[in-house]
Amino acid sequence: MPDLLRAEGIGKRYGGVCALRNASLALAAGEAHALVGENGAGKSTLAKVIAGSVRPDAGRILIDGEPASIRNPLDAQRLGIGIIYQELDLFPHLSIGENIVVGNLSFPETALVDFRKVDDFCRPFLERVGLRRRPRELLSRLSIGQAQLVALARALSMRARVILMDEPTSSLGEDAAGRLFRTIRELTQSGVAIVYVSHKMDEIFRVCGRATVLRDGGNVGTLEVPKSTPDALVRMMVGQVGNLRADWQSARAAVANRRADCQSAPLLSVSGLTTRKLHNVSFDLRSGEVLGIAGLVGAGRSELGAALFGLARVRAGEIRLRGVPIEPKSPAAAMRHGIGLLPEDRKLQGLMMDMSVLENGALAACRGMRRFGFLSAERERRALDPLYRQLGLKCASFSAPAGSLSGGNQQKALLARWLLADPGVLFLDDPARGIDVGAKQDIYRIIGALAAAGKGVILASSELPELLRCSSRILVLADGRVTAAYDAAEATPERIMAAATGAAEARP
Amino acid sequence: MKPWAAAADRLRELKGLMALAGIVLLAIAISPVAPDGSRIFLQAGNLTDILRQISLIGIVSLGMTLVILTGGIDLSVGSTLALSTSLVAMGLTRAWPGSGYAPHILYAIAAATLAGGLAGAVNGAAIAGIEIQPFIVTLASMIGIRGLAKWLTNNANIDIGFGRDVAAEFAAVFRQKPLVIGSYAVLAAVFWVLLSRTVFGRHVRAIGDNETAARYAGLPIRRVKIVVYALAGLLAGFAGVLYAAENHQGNPNVGVAYELDAIAAVVIGGTRLAGGKGSIAGTIVGTLIMGVLTNMLRLGNVDSNVEMMVKAVIIVLAVAIQRQRSVD
Repeated sequence: MPDLLRAEGIGKRYGGVCALRNASLALAAGEAHALVGENGAGKSTLAKVIAGSVRPDAGRILIDGEPASIRNPLDAQRLGIGIIYQELDLFPHLSIGENIVVGNLSFPETALVDFRKVDDFCRPFLERVGLRRRPRELLSRLSIGQAQLVALARALSMRARVILMDEPTSSLGEDAAGRLFRTIRELTQSGVAIVYVSHKMDEIFRVCGRATVLRDGGNVGTLEVPKSTPDALVRMMVGQVGNLRADWQSARAAVANRRADCQSAPLLSVSGLTTRKLHNVSFDLRSGEVLGIAGLVGAGRSELGAALFGLARVRAGEIRLRGVPIEPKSPAAAMRHGIGLLPEDRKLQGLMMDMSVLENGALAACRGMRRFGFLSAERERRALDPLYRQLGLKCASFSAPAGSLSGGNQQKALLARWLLADPGVLFLDDPARGIDVGAKQDIYRIIGALAAAGKGVILASSELPELLRCSSRILVLADGRVTAAYDAAEATPERIMAAATGAAEARP
Repeated sequence: MKPWAAAADRLRELKGLMALAGIVLLAIAISPVAPDGSRIFLQAGNLTDILRQISLIGIVSLGMTLVILTGGIDLSVGSTLALSTSLVAMGLTRAWPGSGYAPHILYAIAAATLAGGLAGAVNGAAIAGIEIQPFIVTLASMIGIRGLAKWLTNNANIDIGFGRDVAAEFAAVFRQKPLVIGSYAVLAAVFWVLLSRTVFGRHVRAIGDNETAARYAGLPIRRVKIVVYALAGLLAGFAGVLYAAENHQGNPNVGVAYELDAIAAVVIGGTRLAGGKGSIAGTIVGTLIMGVLTNMLRLGNVDSNVEMMVKAVIIVLAVAIQRQRSVD
């Protein structure tokens, strides 16, 4: 019997970045199939290709052994493929029923909406997913977990035989997740195939029969989940780390030196920090230290930066700077205390794209760039030129808009802004994300130089090699909690991934 | 790069200048000819008339430029102008305990102008503090301030006579061409420097370019926004003082659609309505384009309704030629 769905040799490039290369997935009817991998392994991209929202550069998809052409989400719907995105793509100001029927080919369209017909259409599917709400209620009145059930009912109402779920529990509580798992089990028993995109070990071992592991956009293998262990799965996700090991052992000597300087009193001391997404996070940061923050997407890495920088409300806990308790209530307050944040998304949170390279670099330290009270381009140039040189920033001219630079150079301009502002504690949120290898090396060099100059650097990153290369200690976050802390000497990719995925607790 | 070369570069970027040059050439070409053979458009009296006519809207547009650069809008400046004309006339027609005209006049001008600034600060506080959209806040204050002006004046004009009293003295001084044009020139220069050479000006542009990033850079977003709207109100208030002098009356019903003329001047000058990109120089050019166009059509005896239709076309054309392909 042919597979229900088969994706073969799928390739997808985004500019210079290869998201998928020769990736494949085989799905049998009635199974829950996990799609796992590290951050950036290509899981979500593969799911989107199958759902028709991303068009692949190479490969083909077979349904019941027949080649199928999926050019857009409507094609996917016709073929019985539904997807539930991580960020729910529902309309909060429409009713539950309207959310289910909008764009739904199975619902006969009429010129006027007959709400009774909508109700009748939706009811069986809402029952099936176990959501006891009236179809005419507004979606915005539901919790995220309930909204997820609406998305599931929508997929079912489209007569989906394959439902892809992208990190469905990322915003669910324990209860809601349990209910979702029950629904998944019922669906698979009735012959629906579920693709479960996740990197949470405990869930995969609770729900899924098989797991396909992706790494760097390609397949590592498919295994039977009940016959495997979380450790084995984590090893497949992380892969062989020969090169990495050599690289990081050579960095070890430098780390040992760095640790010698780190016996002083802590520069920044965080205890019991709790926000909406963080729970009881504690750590010390000494001057001259690079503290790595590891964790999967949504584990709370960025939230930690936001809390320190006055962007997230602190519910409990204490932040001490050089022994003195501080309460950074706004970024401006945090900066007055000497805390800086290089944000994760340089386009959205970082640069003013229409302003010049020079203006962007000077933005956090404008007041020092004045002569007789007026901004002096000359003074800005003199302050920033050496920094840009040190960073290896390449641009046509300093008056070119930041938007005209390449990603790596944009990141350097943004980093220069913080080097110029010169905070004592700098939180770098994924500073090497989406930039080329050369620029990455430049940024790692600067991180080392900052630590050598006695700054306290916190490096949050989704890339393990980067953390292992740059950090003197690594803190692992999972679901907003610190699950492990390793000295650079004892940190290994396997240990970090195990702590980040919760494999340690899920071990049978 | 030499400073003058950089300045020349910036002027070349100001494509509105080409539009202005085009309209001036057209105005010269179709200008009626005086009995002595000279073109009326080019006569010194006519040229200074143009400058005087654009001065009021020009002053209001300076504040509007800052507001729009932050990504906002201010619909209330027309009402603020009317409030100011009423207040200055009321102040001048009241009994004054002291002696001498000068303090009385200064007091009336200061009260009217500061009332405008206060109205703007309230706008800014609602926009930055309670975070209501600028369009809605200033739409509300457009209605409310107009109501206040009518209520204060009992919905009646307050006439400023032509005699020898303090109000007439005020009007005689503040309706002089050099003073009106000079005020505009000085304010334009001040705001040009404010926007391009001060930390405040850079914060204004940064907030309009990317407010999220401005927050992440620790900029004082609230304070900047409140000051920007207060300045817009202050300028509208001062424009109201000049308006009262020119028309010899305080009138709570004037200034209708002034905000729209000011917005038109700003966008014709190449400032992006979404904020972040634009300049005072552009707004001055935009204001001149509107002024020359009006003058050209009036000299040609074009019907004022047709004038409006022509203006409509020019607004769209001027913005269209300045459109740039976005970076990505």
